[in-house]
Amino acid sequence: MGELLSNLGLGLGVALTFKNIALCFIGCLVGTLIGVLPGVGPIATIAMLLPITFGLDPVGALIMLAGIYYGAQYGGSTTAILVNIPGEATSVVTALDGHQMARNGQAGAALGLAAIGSFIAGCIATLVIAALGKPLTAMALLFGPADYFALMVLGLMFAVVLARGSVPKAMAMILVGVLLSTVGTDLETGDERLTFGWTDISDGLEFAAIAMGIFGFAEIVKNLENPEARDVVKMKMGRLLPSKEQFAKAFKPILRGTFLGSALGILPGNGAVLGPFASYSLEKKLSSDPSQFGKGAVEGVAGPESANNAGAQTAFIPLLTLGIPPNAVMALMVGAMQIHGIVPGPQIISKQPELFWGMIASMWIGNLMLLVINLPLIGLWVRLLKVPYRLMFPSIILFCCIGIYSVNNNPFEVMLAAGFGLFGYALLKFGFEPAPLILGYVLGRLMEEKLRQALVISRGSFWTFLERPLSGGILLVALVLAIIALLPSIQKSRDKVFVDD
Amino acid sequence: MLDPRPSDSEIAHGRGLIKSPSDLAAGMFLLALAAVGYFGSLSLKFGTLSNIGPGLMPRSIAVLVGAFGVLLIVQSFFFHGSRLERWSIRGPFFILGAIVLFALTIRGTAIPIDGKQVQVVPALGLLVAGPLAMIFSGFASNETKLKEIIPFALVLTALCYLMFKVVLRLPIPVLPILLGY
Repeated sequence: MGELLSNLGLGLGVALTFKNIALCFIGCLVGTLIGVLPGVGPIATIAMLLPITFGLDPVGALIMLAGIYYGAQYGGSTTAILVNIPGEATSVVTALDGHQMARNGQAGAALGLAAIGSFIAGCIATLVIAALGKPLTAMALLFGPADYFALMVLGLMFAVVLARGSVPKAMAMILVGVLLSTVGTDLETGDERLTFGWTDISDGLEFAAIAMGIFGFAEIVKNLENPEARDVVKMKMGRLLPSKEQFAKAFKPILRGTFLGSALGILPGNGAVLGPFASYSLEKKLSSDPSQFGKGAVEGVAGPESANNAGAQTAFIPLLTLGIPPNAVMALMVGAMQIHGIVPGPQIISKQPELFWGMIASMWIGNLMLLVINLPLIGLWVRLLKVPYRLMFPSIILFCCIGIYSVNNNPFEVMLAAGFGLFGYALLKFGFEPAPLILGYVLGRLMEEKLRQALVISRGSFWTFLERPLSGGILLVALVLAIIALLPSIQKSRDKVFVDD
Repeated sequence: MLDPRPSDSEIAHGRGLIKSPSDLAAGMFLLALAAVGYFGSLSLKFGTLSNIGPGLMPRSIAVLVGAFGVLLIVQSFFFHGSRLERWSIRGPFFILGAIVLFALTIRGTAIPIDGKQVQVVPALGLLVAGPLAMIFSGFASNETKLKEIIPFALVLTALCYLMFKVVLRLPIPVLPILLGY
């Protein structure tokens, strides 16, 4: 305990210099402003803002980068809530109930919940990292490929619980997402899969194109078809912050989300993505009124947002201690660190303690900054909703096009996004939901990789998934979840529910 | 709203053979996707369990998607569901068309004709592609007024230029005809 305090003290000493506070502030502010633009998700934001840090010293650069990272995450959540365009896989869940809250005139409350929930989650997650960083990494290393695969399967089951409509259609969407993730060059053999000769997608389909197309463009087309449904949003302004009752409802979900997000974020291998989905499923199961989910349930925003932020922070653990970036955003951070001469790995904690603990301390400061910056800005964002839609949607299109183009400077990806826009429109017309597809897409590659590894290790035996205690246990939970999800989906009883509504 | 649940008025209350046209269409859509996935990856090695080839995942998943498609089709004969929704032409055409326009004009487009690359669309850069896309997309809505959208598009593009090009120095072509890359 004493060691923890002295480490934190060291960190605070580093982070609380005027220069570093200023860098943190600028990072958060800039990250939020760019991240808020529909079409520019966290990855694009960080990539764009990376060069700003080049002139700084390593500690300062890392602090600013971290600020940009949280700012971009929060900006992405803001877009998800206001315009239903998730910039990243983790924002997909926020968009579900967050945007519905905005439609109910409670945009301010939704944004406030996201900010406060993220702050609380961030504080707790920082403590988790500070106290448990090393032992947790050791535990995470216990996860073998078979266990990872089981975890991914569990994650996909969460997506089924997310389904607001037909369960078979949601499962089908997950599978389509996984199918889409196979497009590109196969990592092990170098064969091109489902690219049909287009070299532009031999690296796989760009996530930004899929997200923008299916969520952004399809949503715009749908909105234009139903102008009445859209205009209602403008009428109500609502409160700028969550009410006491809303906050009371949100408190436990925030804590549970933090716990889930922290635990999943530590797993090297994009565990952080599962956090919001797991939290949403959990809250839906625990809620006294599950029918509210999908219509603007407070718990459906607070829990996942907290899980999101907690996971984003604890994702630094495998990064800083093992040098393994769990996702694309972290990979960018590793690249940035290397440019500044920092090599993440096990020796960082011992050889450069000011760096490690300074970073941890600045995480807490960054969370505080986000709250300070964003709470006043909520009024501004909500007022943005009042812009007439006929001007709003061309702006969204412009930002999305620039955003997608800026990822790889490839106009083909903009075309791809248009194609996915059409695809997304078809999905909506046929009654499918896009959220499970995105999860399937994000998890697909990793699942396949782990499946292959697990089967190589077990020499082709499928029993390995049941023999290993960890994966067997996880698969059991997934099976239980599947049964619970399928039980009420006997079509006749579901139709009765619809008719009685 | 991205809410696919059918409202009461949309439920097909016919006594026809197909009780749920939308489920039938959805199932056929899934089958089509599955077919693309399956036949598109036929050439890849399937591999064995202990040595999974590149084709195993796409083909297996495609089969599963197809299975769900069949499930939905069968379901459509037995359970009531919603009628088919109508597709609009104007919205998708102008919105998606705007995006395609942007993609074609931001860096120009060259098509190989007779072995040579022919520049079919010149590189117009952000200052042209931006307003072009915005104004074209405006036609998707009957609320758009040209007098409003044209100056708005120009101003917004100028702001984007300032933010992305001047401040962030992203390598987006601005106006190659006049300013070069």
